[in-house]
Amino acid sequence: MTTTAIVTLAAVLLIVLGVSVITRPRNTSTVDFYLAGQRVGIVTNSWAICGDYLSAASFLGVAAAVYVSGLDGAWYAVGFAAGFLPVLLLVAAPLRRFGEFSLADFLGRRLNSDRVRISSVAMVQLVILCYLVPQSVGGGITWDLLVGHGVFGLSPYTTGVLLSTAVIAVIVAFGGMRGTTWNQAVQFLLLFLALVWLAIVVTSEGFRYGDAVEALSQGPLANPEGSALVQETNYIQPEQTAVFGEPGARYGRLGQIALVVTLGLGTAGLPHVMNRYFTSPTGRAARTTTVWVLVLVGMFYALAVMLGTAARDIIPGAVADHPWLEELTVNGILRVPEHALPVLGRIYGDEAGLGLVAAAALIAAMSTVAGLLLASAATWGHDVYERHINPRATQRQAVWAGRLTTLIAAAAAAALAIALSPEAFTPAMPSLVATMVTWAFAVAGSALTPVVVLAIWWRRTTAAGGIAGMLTGGALAVAMFLGASFMEPSALRELFAAPTLLAAPVAFVVIIVVSLKTQAPDSADASWVLMHGTAADRQAERLAALTVKDRRRRRAR
Amino acid sequence: MQSEADPHFNEVQDTPAEVDATFRTLRRIAITYFVVFLVVLAAFPVLTITLDWWTESRLIGNLSPAFLFAGVGLYVVFAVMGIAAATLSSSVESRMLGHQRQGEATASESWADTSQQKPDGS
Repeated sequence: MTTTAIVTLAAVLLIVLGVSVITRPRNTSTVDFYLAGQRVGIVTNSWAICGDYLSAASFLGVAAAVYVSGLDGAWYAVGFAAGFLPVLLLVAAPLRRFGEFSLADFLGRRLNSDRVRISSVAMVQLVILCYLVPQSVGGGITWDLLVGHGVFGLSPYTTGVLLSTAVIAVIVAFGGMRGTTWNQAVQFLLLFLALVWLAIVVTSEGFRYGDAVEALSQGPLANPEGSALVQETNYIQPEQTAVFGEPGARYGRLGQIALVVTLGLGTAGLPHVMNRYFTSPTGRAARTTTVWVLVLVGMFYALAVMLGTAARDIIPGAVADHPWLEELTVNGILRVPEHALPVLGRIYGDEAGLGLVAAAALIAAMSTVAGLLLASAATWGHDVYERHINPRATQRQAVWAGRLTTLIAAAAAAALAIALSPEAFTPAMPSLVATMVTWAFAVAGSALTPVVVLAIWWRRTTAAGGIAGMLTGGALAVAMFLGASFMEPSALRELFAAPTLLAAPVAFVVIIVVSLKTQAPDSADASWVLMHGTAADRQAERLAALTVKDRRRRRAR
Repeated sequence: MQSEADPHFNEVQDTPAEVDATFRTLRRIAITYFVVFLVVLAAFPVLTITLDWWTESRLIGNLSPAFLFAGVGLYVVFAVMGIAAATLSSSVESRMLGHQRQGEATASESWADTSQQKPDGS
């Protein structure tokens, strides 16, 4: 292990543990453990949501997708960023005003049904697992590149998966939402700074975005398969070769739309992101937080796309001066596209640059893992244990149930990540991390988003409709993306690989049809006043203003 | 007795009618912006099919309109739409809610009280 690797890992651990100790929960209450006391401010929450959302798929995966597919890879970034607009328009403020512990809890109470709550828990767990595994894969990839050694006879990849998941699991289990919020906020800032540093360095060293795209588009786009480069097929104009700067290297016309819709609608159903809205003090604060998030993730993804392009442009010319690149490349093209940003960091910042980017990648994976584990804890600990297994549980017992489920979910994700080897999947999935995250978005957007949106905006939504839509959307999404693995490249395969474009409308229709045939809950009118009224917001704002006034008065004395 | 330090002091409750009117206005805003959002997203493949200029010409920084749109432009559009929609929605809520006289609050207070109950009645 090099000195840089040791310093990097020590810095990551120090930051994460330091923030956790400083912000450790003061009380053993479930509101404090799951919701940070519902007092997270707009700026802090927007940073924390970004830290939660910008995962290894965003940091390593988007740049990797652009690196390997050119313009078509940018659609991942567009879809990820687009997701917060539907959240802002349709979900954020009413969801917070209704105020619960988790997405499953919201649906269960709004539709007045424990069966809805349990069905939602199942879907939420499926989404969390699909999302957790690629984050652990990202941790393994980064460790492999940064350290290159395993411990106790394990491979470097396995060691990375186990260590990154274990550290964050312990921190989440004992730090709760309060510690996780501050960790995610600090981690987002570090992640963003790493990307900005990389962008400044490559630009100052002569990289010109437009010229690079132009140069890369002069020849056909080719990527490694085994020890040779193979030209990519052009899915829009098959008679022409695929090029970096034009659409077609990865998706046909339907595929672009299907991917963006899948990612765009999926965000509103992501439990770890939506749960963060319950920590806002008011609905209006939740809405303003989303505006901040939209601006911040837009800047982040614009930089990630640019750096994916920079890696494609710079690395082939750097092999001669950096012999260590020969092992990682085939004719100057990286074997594992997720290595694009760490390699750029090493080219321009030597071991320290690699350390910085690798630390950011580890942080990206860890901050998202933290959010996912907490969402998992909320669903098992609160929605299952407190509601069904032990309704008389004390606050202490409920918090311990959450902690225990955090550790179990982490162990399951690490085991699955170890079972998958990214290199084995690269020919079929240009960016394994980004592809697996697409599955999580597909289930979330097909099963959860339709029922969440209709529960907020359609008074007639019923429990039976919600369950039918959720199960239909979820089952259809899973069947479609699994089916896509066995299909030859075609427009139909593209639709199946990103299934929300079809599965979500089907789920919407099923919810509406079944709801119209069943009795709406009596509590719908009361729910409306709560979700779409602002009395609670005004009361909270008034209370906050009085608290500030009181503090000033005390200081003046 | 209520004092100024009590957050419930002079607190104006929302009536179901007010909330319903606000909900309808907000729904119109959300649907309008959502449709614009879909049109913006759908514009990319449509322009790719119909307009050679979209992928072949060069604009700022020598980037094609297609690359500029996917690499930078869309994020700017999302942010502008988000700021506009949030400002409009919050302004609608401020104008339409919270102006009812104290004596008229009884009905909505009783609804709000009911809605605070958990499904198990706790």
